[in-house]
Amino acid sequence: MKRTNKLSRREFLAAAGAAATVPYFIPSDVLAKPNRPGANDRIVTAHIGVGGMGGGHLRDMKNRMNKGEVKIVAVCDADENRLAKAAMTAGPGVTPYRDYRYVLQRKDVDAVVIATPDHWHGVQMVHAAECGKHVYVEKPACCTIEEGKAMMAAAKKNKVSVQVGSQGRSQPEAYLAHRYLVNGNIGHINRVDCFHYPSPEDRNPVPDSDPPEELDWDLWLGPLRWRPYNKRYLHGVFRWLLESGGGQIRDRGAHVMSCAMWWMGADGTGPVTIEATGTSPKQGLWDSAVLMDVTYTFKNPDWVMTWRQMPNDKLPKAEERTGKEPGGKISRPGYGAIYRGSSGEFIHWGGDGGTWAEKKAREWKPGPGAKEVYKSPGHKEDWFKGIKTGAKTIMNIDAAVGVANLTILGNLSFILGRKIEWDQKKQEIVGDEQARRMMSRPQRHPYHL
Amino acid sequence: MSRDKANKKSVAGAGVGAVRTKAVTELIEKIKDSSPEVRTKAWLGAGEVGWRAVAALAEAMTDEDPEVARAAKRALWKIVRHAGRPGADKERKNVATHLAGLLADDKPVAVRRETLWMLSEIGEKELIKPIAGLMSNKELREDARMVLERIPGKASVAALMAGFKTSPEDFKGNIAQSLRKRGKKVRGYECVKLVPTKKTTVKALPK
Repeated sequence: MKRTNKLSRREFLAAAGAAATVPYFIPSDVLAKPNRPGANDRIVTAHIGVGGMGGGHLRDMKNRMNKGEVKIVAVCDADENRLAKAAMTAGPGVTPYRDYRYVLQRKDVDAVVIATPDHWHGVQMVHAAECGKHVYVEKPACCTIEEGKAMMAAAKKNKVSVQVGSQGRSQPEAYLAHRYLVNGNIGHINRVDCFHYPSPEDRNPVPDSDPPEELDWDLWLGPLRWRPYNKRYLHGVFRWLLESGGGQIRDRGAHVMSCAMWWMGADGTGPVTIEATGTSPKQGLWDSAVLMDVTYTFKNPDWVMTWRQMPNDKLPKAEERTGKEPGGKISRPGYGAIYRGSSGEFIHWGGDGGTWAEKKAREWKPGPGAKEVYKSPGHKEDWFKGIKTGAKTIMNIDAAVGVANLTILGNLSFILGRKIEWDQKKQEIVGDEQARRMMSRPQRHPYHL
Repeated sequence: MSRDKANKKSVAGAGVGAVRTKAVTELIEKIKDSSPEVRTKAWLGAGEVGWRAVAALAEAMTDEDPEVARAAKRALWKIVRHAGRPGADKERKNVATHLAGLLADDKPVAVRRETLWMLSEIGEKELIKPIAGLMSNKELREDARMVLERIPGKASVAALMAGFKTSPEDFKGNIAQSLRKRGKKVRGYECVKLVPTKKTTVKALPK
């Protein structure tokens, strides 16, 4: 789909037909506009980062392409092996690229799916928005406070629809949990305790070496400061390094805390203090906290959220299920959150693509006058709706940055070994010059915001 | 303190005020221990040992055992994070000054690079000059440029501007990036962040 002010033949026919016969039947906001495909148009997509989660997104979108929802025109990766595989998956006519900036130059691309390592999310989302592309970007949204600010500003300025991949908000049992909680079933909630199993330690450290031939190491590192290649710092395992993935708190915190902020009605708010302790790996390259205990204190309204990475034998026991529940059986019982209210408690497990609510929330029937909450049609569907109508997505960039900031601040407090004070309105750390400097991280030329 | 003094010994080539107190000796012994548990406990507790351990830890960062080198690096970072806490200005300055000694030409590049980033968190205007000097070192200039970008104040901007004037052509765009970030207009070196440069060898499947 070309991004011009002129109507395509298809758009012209749709608009003219609507005007001539049923002038008000099709709301004006679903007709194609510059930057926004029309309701019946296929969204033209490209995929940046096609291994791991990116491979999953590509397969999902290929299924959607087969159903006529989207058209994939490009795939992109810094790893030629992954790229070749993705080109095969995407099928004939889909152009492979190593450098995502070629993708952003294409005028026919409406939207990009970014599933690169975490240290690329901020820069690539901002660049995509600056090129007028709608964006689905994997979580966590950003690695630094500065990146988050730039992402929010770029989405707003360029009027693009951004969905961040904290898809727990769109799960069927997330809706049931949300509805249960906002209707006061456990009273006033003043504490949410998130739990997770530990981050792993590198039990097989290896020395730095030359990168494999298929990998563009410079491009893979992108905005990060240069370091020699190490195969324990690459696909998948980047998430155990503080400067990139940041450990479980960022990887899964971006899911579990996302549910908490959504269900607590706390999007757009933030804590006033963050205090973390944790244990560090005893060997190897990975440096994210193995066990961790973070306390976020919110004011006006007053509540507390905690994030705890704990030994497996300390985790809450998962509920027995039949498998016929909306979310099926609990396949990932090792993380979730306990909501503590004035008249009871509620627990959920998972929080990502698998989100499981405690039985009492699933069985609760809303009575007359019960509050309703937004029910996502699906995380991608919600994004498509955002693209076509301009509606706010369920995990829009402002909300996602708010959640990512929690994880960033938790890690900063852990790294620094002290409590951090946070000014939510200014989006700044208060009274700690070193921590303030760490709100941003200079980026390597030319891979910058 | 008197016991510390009694245990002092010089660390060859370790820079300004290099001394080895009992606490430093013990720290280094544990950092070099064969047990991961002992090494980890040692680097986690290094913060309070402070500036006196800077030179010895830098030396241990080059140990042939990568786990010892890593423990030493993490200990040094602990010192930096501890010294950077609010209200510890004197300690921070002491640590920063001793770190600056590690930027010297005779130190290994990996140690100098790590040191630059440590100074990006606690360095101030008095250390701008040695950092800026590394913008003329081909191996370290990009790190030095980024570190100057991070250090607040006019002195770091002035150093970037001076570096821009004298830098070789192939590095001016990098410094221009930092200057723009710090609010300066730069003529002749436009932002190239959206310009693609890297081609793939992978071919599309034929239609």
